[in-house]
Amino acid sequence: MAHQGEHNRMTDNNGGGGNAALLALEIEDLTVAYHSKPAIWDVDLTVPQGVLMALVGPNGAGKSTLIKAVLGLIPRAAGSVSVFGKPYERARDLVGYVPQRGSVDWDFPTTVLDVVTMGLYGGLGLLKRPGKRERELAMYALEQVSLQDFAGRQISQLSGGQQQRTFLARALVQDARLYLMDEPFAAVDAVTERAIVTILKELQHRQRTVVVVHHDLQTVTDYFDWTTLLNVEIVASGPTDTTFTEENLRKTYGGSIATVNAIAGGDS
Amino acid sequence: MYGIEQLLVELATRLASIEAVNAFFRDPRTTARVVGVLIAIPAGMLGSFLLLRGMALTSDAISHTVLLGIVVAFIIMTRFFRMEPDLSSPWLIIGAAGAGVVTVILTELVQASGLMKQDAALGLAFPFLFALAVIFVARYVENVHMDEDAVMVGEIGVAWANTNSHPIGDYESVVITADDPRAEIVRRCVNCVRDQINPRDPAAEFIEVCSNCGEYSPGEAYRAGFTTVRPVLVYWPKSVTVALVMALVASLFIAIFFKELKITTFDPELARSLGYRPTALNYALMVVVSLVAVGAFDAVGSILVIAFFIIPAATAYLLTNRLSRMVALSAALGSAGAFWGYDLARGRLFGVLPLPGDWDTSISASMVIMMMVLFVVVLLASPRSGLVAVWARRRRQRRTFVDMVLLGHLDHHINRVFSRESLEAHIGWQPEKLAAVLDRLERSGRIEIDAGRINISRRGHTSLAAFRASTT
Ligand SMILES: Nc1ncnc2c1ncn2[C@@H]1O[C@H](COP(=O)(O)OP(=O)(O)OP(=O)(O)O)[C@@H](O)[C@H]1O
Ligand SMILES: [Mg+2]
Repeated sequence: MAHQGEHNRMTDNNGGGGNAALLALEIEDLTVAYHSKPAIWDVDLTVPQGVLMALVGPNGAGKSTLIKAVLGLIPRAAGSVSVFGKPYERARDLVGYVPQRGSVDWDFPTTVLDVVTMGLYGGLGLLKRPGKRERELAMYALEQVSLQDFAGRQISQLSGGQQQRTFLARALVQDARLYLMDEPFAAVDAVTERAIVTILKELQHRQRTVVVVHHDLQTVTDYFDWTTLLNVEIVASGPTDTTFTEENLRKTYGGSIATVNAIAGGDS
Repeated sequence: MYGIEQLLVELATRLASIEAVNAFFRDPRTTARVVGVLIAIPAGMLGSFLLLRGMALTSDAISHTVLLGIVVAFIIMTRFFRMEPDLSSPWLIIGAAGAGVVTVILTELVQASGLMKQDAALGLAFPFLFALAVIFVARYVENVHMDEDAVMVGEIGVAWANTNSHPIGDYESVVITADDPRAEIVRRCVNCVRDQINPRDPAAEFIEVCSNCGEYSPGEAYRAGFTTVRPVLVYWPKSVTVALVMALVASLFIAIFFKELKITTFDPELARSLGYRPTALNYALMVVVSLVAVGAFDAVGSILVIAFFIIPAATAYLLTNRLSRMVALSAALGSAGAFWGYDLARGRLFGVLPLPGDWDTSISASMVIMMMVLFVVVLLASPRSGLVAVWARRRRQRRTFVDMVLLGHLDHHINRVFSRESLEAHIGWQPEKLAAVLDRLERSGRIEIDAGRINISRRGHTSLAAFRASTT
């Protein structure tokens, strides 16, 4: 990036404040491998503050891997990640994570409210239990995703879309500045999808940065003002207008142009 | 351990008279129950987490491989430090905890190779470690009291007899040295064995040794006749101390790390992203599980330990939607199983119903049976997910459904006149089934039968409308 030096200088005065030029996420030369087989390869990516970004790419492109590597959930083979100018380990409370829905045991003996409260565990020290204040915050987050009536339910008694919204509420309750969401639209109906998009736009309105792994090429231009195309390596990244082009999609998805045209519709 | 035990004795004699304490533990019933409950509580609590982490079998593996830790520690103690530790020695307990961790590491190594799944990895790692232990016992450990029964089902029944005696009051311990008049000096041939000669052989060389020198506790000194002062003693079962300490360690661990255990069990990724360390916590959990397994090993043997971890936890899982309640219920159910298990071993079901015949059987096995009885009762009768409740709900739903089919038919063809016969032909049910449904509908006032003509009533319409609304 051309403004590398400038960014670094600015990021030195930490992640707070409303510094518009500050990068929410800055990834340099990141490589992650499973058993010496790279899942993402030398990725450079910068995400400016306040964007609503789609992370798009075919199955196995490394989207989940990229997010997990940022969060330190899997070891990085090379490269560096900084969040608001700080290494992730020192910026944890600035980041909220919405994992793919299948990643937990839904038969676990716990309630919806309880799961959302877990989003606040990061701020509790050893020996501190979540109390009234935490429950109130969690309840407020549940209201935002219209799940307040389900607070006391065991989580297996939720539909797929409700489970997804529970995860979303758990991230919202963290009141993070950067959100990383892995396929929040998977298996949700049109109404829930609308509701989630409204929440995402609201987050953006409040100067939050949101990165969303997204599969539906039809809606990318509608929902997101920033797009990154990934297939092991970064194909393109920038404002959706200039990035989400037929040319780039073909590079990302390979295969026939017809297929890409069909999935992208007449959008580009 | 001995120091902790002295504290316990001190505490117990403050709360009750010395005679009462002695009488309490001299009763095999109470001691067995106390030990059983003290194992069931920590095992039940830890078992809840193991169950939810999909590590139920890990507790079985650990309860076997702790034997290796015990044996290795025993060999080191006897060979290199010339000590004779017993199962309540802290060194053996540390060895056992180490073996538990080694089991988990080995399992994870096999698993990380990507060639085996977790169950297969466990199946490879733990028999290997257990087999090593068996060979070490046979090869290096002589005259140690470790018979097969003890390994199989433990010695909870005789826990009352294996005691330390603690003097109450100021008694001096007695030290016998070689120049003491009470010392027994014997002559020992130093080269008889080596040169294979008879002690009467003139070539035999002798030294004089003191055969009874050493330090004697007041109780031992009195028994050996070195003193006429008879100390007041409290006989404290060793396994009570071990089990109590393990129960305290486990309870403390869970109380301190409840939040951490919960989040790393439910969602390790979230936990890690929030800065928790799921791996470290996992090993800590395994250490605590190993500690409880050693305590349990002595009392109930290695095979049945898994039952104490898993059966109460599985029962509690059926009863509640909250982790904290599951942990508490699991401890309570385990304790109940251990308590009534003793009675079962002596031929009384739930402590009251006498069983026929001369009933005197393994206590630990009976405790496990009792836990299983509780599990089956809950499985059948739990109000939420019990089989009986589910069956009743299904039956109710099925009935409602056939009622509604019939009402729907009457409603659909409201202008036709129906009799039993025409309905039977239309709906195609057996006459008995049709009669039962009509009977139910008439009794609840949802149809009217007037001179053989069947009509849907107003209440029938309401009921049908409600059903339609609830299903769409
Ligand atoms: N735990 C793992 N062990 C080994 N390989 C893995 C593991 N997780 C992912 N991979 C491999 O890494 C590559 C990237 O996977 P990743 O889950 O990041 O893809 P993705 O873009 O999120 O795909 P999807 O759209 O299907 O969610 C894939 O080839 C996958 O097979
Ligand atoms: Mg993925």
